[in-house]
Amino acid sequence: MRVRKLLAGSLAGVLLAAVTACGGGESGGSDGTTLVVKTFGQFGYDELYKQYESSHPGIKIKEENIAKLGDYSPKLQQWLAAGSGAGDVVAIEEGVLVQFMGQPDKFVNLLDHGAGELKGNFLDWKWQQALTRDGSKLVGLGTDVGAQGMCYRTDLFEKAGLPTDRDEVGKLWPTWDAYLATGQKFVAANKDAGFFDSAGNIYTNILMQQGDHTYYDTDNKLVIDSNPGVKTAWDQATQMIAAGLSADIAAYSPQWNAGFKNGKFATIPCPSWMLATIEKQAGPENAGKWDVAKVPGTGAVRGGSFLAVPTQSKHQAEAAELAKFLTSPEGQTAAFTSKNNFPSSPQAIDDTAVQSATNKYFNDAPVGKIFGDSVKALKPVYLGPNNLAIGDRVTAALTAVEQDKLSADAAWAKALEDAKRAG
Amino acid sequence: MTERRASPLVYISLLAAVALSVFPLYWLFVIATRSNDVIGDWPPPLTPGGNLGDNLGRLFGTEEAYFLKGMVNSAISAVVVTVAVVFFSSLAGFAFAKLRFRGRNALLLVILATMMIPVQMGIIPLYMIMVKLGWQNQLQAVVVPFLVSAFGVFLMRQYAERAVPDELVEAAVVDGSSTFRTFWSVVLPALRPGAAVLGLLTFMGTWNEFLWPLAVLEADNPTVQVSLSQLSTAYYTDYTLMFAGALVAILPLLFVFIAFGRQIIGGIMEGAVKA
Amino acid sequence: MVAPLRTSAPGNQDPVPVRAQHRLRLWDRWDRRVSPYLFIAPFFVLYAIFGLYPLGFTAWVSLHEWGIAGQAGFVGADNYVRLFGDPDFWNAVVNTVGMFIMSTVPQLLIALILASLLNQKLRGVTLFRLGVLAPIVTSVAAVGIMFSQIFDRDAGLANGLLGLVGVSPIDWRADRLPSWFAISTMVDWRWTGYNALIYLAAMQAVPAVLYEAAVVDGASKVRQFFSITVPMIRPTLIFTVIVSTIGGLQLFTEPLIFGSGDYAILGGSLRQFQTVSMYMFENAFRNFDYGYGSAVALMIFLMIVVVAAVNYLISRRMR
Repeated sequence: MRVRKLLAGSLAGVLLAAVTACGGGESGGSDGTTLVVKTFGQFGYDELYKQYESSHPGIKIKEENIAKLGDYSPKLQQWLAAGSGAGDVVAIEEGVLVQFMGQPDKFVNLLDHGAGELKGNFLDWKWQQALTRDGSKLVGLGTDVGAQGMCYRTDLFEKAGLPTDRDEVGKLWPTWDAYLATGQKFVAANKDAGFFDSAGNIYTNILMQQGDHTYYDTDNKLVIDSNPGVKTAWDQATQMIAAGLSADIAAYSPQWNAGFKNGKFATIPCPSWMLATIEKQAGPENAGKWDVAKVPGTGAVRGGSFLAVPTQSKHQAEAAELAKFLTSPEGQTAAFTSKNNFPSSPQAIDDTAVQSATNKYFNDAPVGKIFGDSVKALKPVYLGPNNLAIGDRVTAALTAVEQDKLSADAAWAKALEDAKRAG
Repeated sequence: MTERRASPLVYISLLAAVALSVFPLYWLFVIATRSNDVIGDWPPPLTPGGNLGDNLGRLFGTEEAYFLKGMVNSAISAVVVTVAVVFFSSLAGFAFAKLRFRGRNALLLVILATMMIPVQMGIIPLYMIMVKLGWQNQLQAVVVPFLVSAFGVFLMRQYAERAVPDELVEAAVVDGSSTFRTFWSVVLPALRPGAAVLGLLTFMGTWNEFLWPLAVLEADNPTVQVSLSQLSTAYYTDYTLMFAGALVAILPLLFVFIAFGRQIIGGIMEGAVKA
Repeated sequence: MVAPLRTSAPGNQDPVPVRAQHRLRLWDRWDRRVSPYLFIAPFFVLYAIFGLYPLGFTAWVSLHEWGIAGQAGFVGADNYVRLFGDPDFWNAVVNTVGMFIMSTVPQLLIALILASLLNQKLRGVTLFRLGVLAPIVTSVAAVGIMFSQIFDRDAGLANGLLGLVGVSPIDWRADRLPSWFAISTMVDWRWTGYNALIYLAAMQAVPAVLYEAAVVDGASKVRQFFSITVPMIRPTLIFTVIVSTIGGLQLFTEPLIFGSGDYAILGGSLRQFQTVSMYMFENAFRNFDYGYGSAVALMIFLMIVVVAAVNYLISRRMR
């Protein structure tokens, strides 16, 4: 009996809930427009939103953030494929952007919203990356570029008898070979930590310094086995594995996050956008233990993002205005001072607020200068359609070498074969 | 029931099994009451500390995680889904087991064949339906698609076949009772133990569902599991915060479990034999 | 509610008017003919929209070149041809089946042993039953958080315990067998007690006379177990095998959380613990290839249909 009463009561409840749910429907406010901005990681826009809202009465901004790029990209695809959910402004990472360049129809052509006159506000190659081949459509506006540095733990360096001052540390490794030699000294003196987190990070970094393309040439032909740069980066990474420098901790895993805190690795190549991640994961108790030096080799860009307006937005004009504001030189400068996302705008790079910026958490490192130097040496790199999938496979093969499961040669052969299948 | 007397060895083995089952849960509790600096210690901490209040405070104070909202959302969806699944499954299960109608076997075969379509598989089309209905990031998106369950119908059909004697149904019909009244006043009470199992499994399944809520809900309107995963990707080094979250997330089920433990066991056991 | 109507007027012997009787019979016939469909209608309507339609749509997508931009042409069986020649797909099948065996066999065996231990005169029997059942309250996400810590290479509980007996730390994620073991442990920890209770119920339904006769014949307990208990609970055994198989073929969240990191969906450096469900997700959501991902999804579905069919056939024969 009790079951039936329970059921009857709850059924009535369910019906009621269903009715109210259907009746509830759209509860969006009628006064003013709310723009939804989708981001991943840390974009550092909070202050900018407030500014924009106060100078544009009637506009409200809501940021919806997903912590990991790896979680964000599938959702972005899902929103775009389904034609809804993407909000009004979306952040797109450069490796993912290539996928979307083939379907510019998913995005508002920003040239139609007066973005054309802003061309001078961006590094030329950053501008070109989001422009269709025929130059008729602009999919996104650049936010930051992945200017390179090398982050390191001063306390671990000291224990290993290495210099700790960032200029001297930078001089330790003019090249990756010198970096390897330093690493050998480090691991000889310190058994508890690796010299770097995992070889995949090092490999990607070296790869991005090897010229203007990686796995694809600019005609989107797969050239992984004929591009000598890929093999160079691979060989250097595997040599470092053989020298025992790797802590073998997968990037973006819990162990990796914890490693920043526990000092499980002494260095990590850090694009500018990674500083905020390191600070968050290492926590306030490690303030001052991490520092930034120049990266080995000559500058390279790795990562960096764009803002785009999906055509599914119901407020395209307003959204385009917001995207223009956030990517303006002033906006980029603000994002840099907030989260160290390095500007892609020449005016912002030359801004004294950027040039003279220091980062308190990283021992007051002059991040503006360190990353600025690296950006000046930047060469744009063409990524090609399936670069993400291929990159996954190559780094997975590197991990297999780290785990002692494949020889470097066998892993290379496997990486090539997997890449061809994915490409 | 056999009358064998248990030897000490039996008790020792059973105690070991219980210890293995319960220890991870206890350990979850221990970490949730500790502070972060004990993490990675060896030997690991085995007794509770005094930081539970502090950890809970941070858990509910971490705005980006929307933990409280996640709990409420999960509670609503789990209750609604459970009631609906139990009701619709009993209704259809009874029809398949005891009523004669054209196409019965063919329809039953459809259920059997598609009984457990993996959620992963239909995500994109299902998402497109949600878009058509305007339900993205709304609670009904994790409720309405799950109001019925093929597995539930199958289970209740198996159960009804044995637990509801044909004479009972016939007697009610002879009395002039309508089919629905027969179902409501005669069949449903007889299905009680099976319904309890189905209800329990459904409640747990809905409470613990992960992939679909992750796909259709956004961070600001999560279910508790989505909120938990937000915590673990964004704040992983804060172990005690996460363990506190995991602890709170299993509390409702633990409560149901302790309060109705005997009935649940009775239900599982009765249901299992009949099914 | 029914009873008072009948007993309200005991003295009233008036027959029901003929016309009303006729109407009643009509209503009765209508009720009998239509009610079954009304009873199953809510289920089928909702199921058609949210269960069958996505399934059909997936099948449709799998016959197309379908990327992020949407449909890009009908390609017939191309995706399936590619699938059959794809070593990564077969690797995922092997992993899925392997982990299924590695988790299900010990799980059901231990459950069987637990059940026979519980099937005796015991003090505090309810406490024991509650104890072994407790893990089912834990969610996959919570299990992932706990066991990621337990099977951590550097600071995990498992390696710490192994260290006590002199075994050097195991890199649980690096090799096939250790990773399978860790993932199987997560699955088994949650479900062994549940299955044990199901077996216990079946065992208690075995008529006691069978055991009494066996004792008279001088059969040992072990002998009794294999010659009486196991055959008598065979339908239940098969039921649990089928249910575990269906769950096992969809294994997704545990290995994904276990893998962790940016490339977790690959299931390890050499895909040593990537399941078919993960491979589907990788193709559809990481590689922007819905067409191919849908083909993989349909293969999972096919595997499950085969199992369900076997289930149906066996349970029919057992009757």
